[in-house]
Amino acid sequence: MREGKQSDQCEPFAALTSSVAMPPLKDLEREFSEVDYNFQQFCASHGILSVEDFLVHDLNVLVAFAEQHPTSKELKQGITRILSIIDNHHQPWLNGMKLLEDALQNKHVLSTGCEGIDLLLQGGLREGQLTELVGPSSSGKTQICLEAASNVADKYMGAVMFLDTCNSFSPRRIACFLTRGVSPSSKEDKKRSLERVMSNIFIYSVFDIFALLGVLQQLECKWRSQVYTRDNQVKLLIIDSISSLITPILGGNGANGRSLMISAGLLLKKLAHEHSLSVLVTNHMVGGEGGALKPALGESWKSVPHVRILLSCDRGGNNLYYASLLKHPTVASGQAVRFMIEE
Amino acid sequence: MEVADLPLSPSQRAKLISAGYTTLSSLSALSPPHLACDLNISEYEALEILRMVASQSSKTFGGTKAIVVGAQTAWDMLHEENFITRITTSCAELDNILGGGISCKEVTEIGGVPGIGKTQLGIQLAVNVQIPVDYGGLAGKAIYVDTEGSFLPERVFQIAEACIKDMVENSHFRRKDFQTCQDKLQPNAFLENIFYFRICSYTEQVALINYLDKFISEHKDVKIVIVDSVTFHFRQDFDDLALRTRVLGGLALKLMKVAQKFSLAVVLLNQVTTKFSEGSVCLALALGDSWSHACTNRIILYWDGNERYAYIDKSPSLRSASAPYSICGQGGNQISFTLQSCPEELIDQQDITIQQLGEKDIYVNYRFNVITGNLGQLNLVLACQFEGWREEQGGSVGQGTTAMRSSAHCSNAGSPLVGVRLPTFPASV
Repeated sequence: MREGKQSDQCEPFAALTSSVAMPPLKDLEREFSEVDYNFQQFCASHGILSVEDFLVHDLNVLVAFAEQHPTSKELKQGITRILSIIDNHHQPWLNGMKLLEDALQNKHVLSTGCEGIDLLLQGGLREGQLTELVGPSSSGKTQICLEAASNVADKYMGAVMFLDTCNSFSPRRIACFLTRGVSPSSKEDKKRSLERVMSNIFIYSVFDIFALLGVLQQLECKWRSQVYTRDNQVKLLIIDSISSLITPILGGNGANGRSLMISAGLLLKKLAHEHSLSVLVTNHMVGGEGGALKPALGESWKSVPHVRILLSCDRGGNNLYYASLLKHPTVASGQAVRFMIEE
Repeated sequence: MEVADLPLSPSQRAKLISAGYTTLSSLSALSPPHLACDLNISEYEALEILRMVASQSSKTFGGTKAIVVGAQTAWDMLHEENFITRITTSCAELDNILGGGISCKEVTEIGGVPGIGKTQLGIQLAVNVQIPVDYGGLAGKAIYVDTEGSFLPERVFQIAEACIKDMVENSHFRRKDFQTCQDKLQPNAFLENIFYFRICSYTEQVALINYLDKFISEHKDVKIVIVDSVTFHFRQDFDDLALRTRVLGGLALKLMKVAQKFSLAVVLLNQVTTKFSEGSVCLALALGDSWSHACTNRIILYWDGNERYAYIDKSPSLRSASAPYSICGQGGNQISFTLQSCPEELIDQQDITIQQLGEKDIYVNYRFNVITGNLGQLNLVLACQFEGWREEQGGSVGQGTTAMRSSAHCSNAGSPLVGVRLPTFPASV
């Protein structure tokens, strides 16, 4: 496929470790002695020049041809070697017991600090899941995100990553959530504990979808290469709001926008599962048929989050909000609660 | 990292993927002529692609304390917030509900029916941002993007004159030396510091907002961008509503980015439209529901009888509140107080807040700290900046912080106060 192309000087393995790379066979020669010139000639005679060609070819036919070749043993070793390389690059098979163990030990439930939402979710945000808050403007989405950030940073001793697209992160509000209901202690103590908790909340502004994907890739790289026990690992990742990043690219003549949206969603879910963190995103509403509002981002997005909560504000002006469950893997949807967010 | 996730044009991406380059690492050790030959593009284009790839891969290694390179902690932001000066709107009640004024680093949307005073407020902000730092302003310049043609230089002159007059009166109480900066504070100088752009179509608007980044990098002292109004060119003759949503979404993100990057305030003025909901007709801001997340704060101006009111509709940190305001001929009324001791220099740490009780009653709360003890008789002067009005009270105080409260009654929410009654001074603290 790319015969004239230069291979990576430093790491042919780097090419392999990405999930889609299909390098030409001669790139593998440096690492694996079985893939020698003889083997490559044999494969080339069957039209196999890269790993991808290898996968689509009928292996039984290839093995049969190898048998008839004078150097059949080396050829079969070569074939086995390539198959083992390919085997190493999919996720390991898990059975139900292992999944259950993982769920019980690693995937805890994080309370959001807001009683109504916790009641609706029967506990709170679950690690490993992507939760979406959808609602019209000024319905409390950012407030719940801020409250969850302050609560998780405080009670669960974990770091919180807040990706802000509309400059609406308010440190004053976080301090307000953290200091309410706290017993009066000395000013120094209060200040020190506030500093400890707030230094664990990290804010990064992203203003387009590519910046978001870049940040997520950065996080993935960083976490993959770190040792297993890390203190201050991120427990909650909040994106407020992901719909403002996706709306400018969705629609139009290409399906490009939709593919970027889905790949962002998949990357978020992968990060959530592999690193045991919870992801919280917000979405807005658009007009649907008959003037009723519906969540933005369309039908393809509906299947991406694990949990979807619909928020609305009671216009009576007394800080009352309604939340109902649109989708949840274990709780019946359709339930609703009414709660208050304090000033 | 995948090539599909890189910020490239769709045709470039398609060419890269069909030639077999699917990851960043496959592009890392490549030379531009080689890539140009492989993809059948010009060498310049290949160089651009490789340069962008190099910048992406350099971002993936960050061993810093922050989880992501460039992230800030909430604690640092909290301290930074104290240093962000707000732009006053020249109306004390409105400033009160906004927590001091329009804040920088945020996009504020102000909407209302025609004739309610949006353009006036926009012009007032463009003038107020230029107030020198000594007088509590930002000493910055303003960018005014006019889409409707409602910007009148004569009105700006009037407002600038009134602002300077306010500052002169203020200077008596703050004892600042007005003479030194008098030449800078001419109305003409105020007009010079407003960059004016006239926009005649939506493509011009998009182009200008794309250009803002470059413009502001060259004029670093711009502290506010006002767009009056952001809706005008998107309402008529726009057949493709999906395109409108996309364009507006992109516009909103770019404005947010400019506000964050240069720490300036962005004010968008919006029109209203009628909305049918549950059988009733109500007024809502134009541009649809998807525009609702394009701003950080939203203020709606409305009529209540004969008075104008401002209502905070959306804000991450301010509570929902209403405040009356008015437009006067001279350009803004500012009710503010200062506290002095007589003999002077005996109190510090002044804290004066005005609390709106009802429509025409206010409380003035003031706290102060007496510096030296054993005074015997100390006169306190609570001064209000309206036509040199002063009121004096006397009493004996000791050392320590004292808090006081007095009530005031306004005959009309828009006119100067007719009288402020201070309670009798306490005999002992």
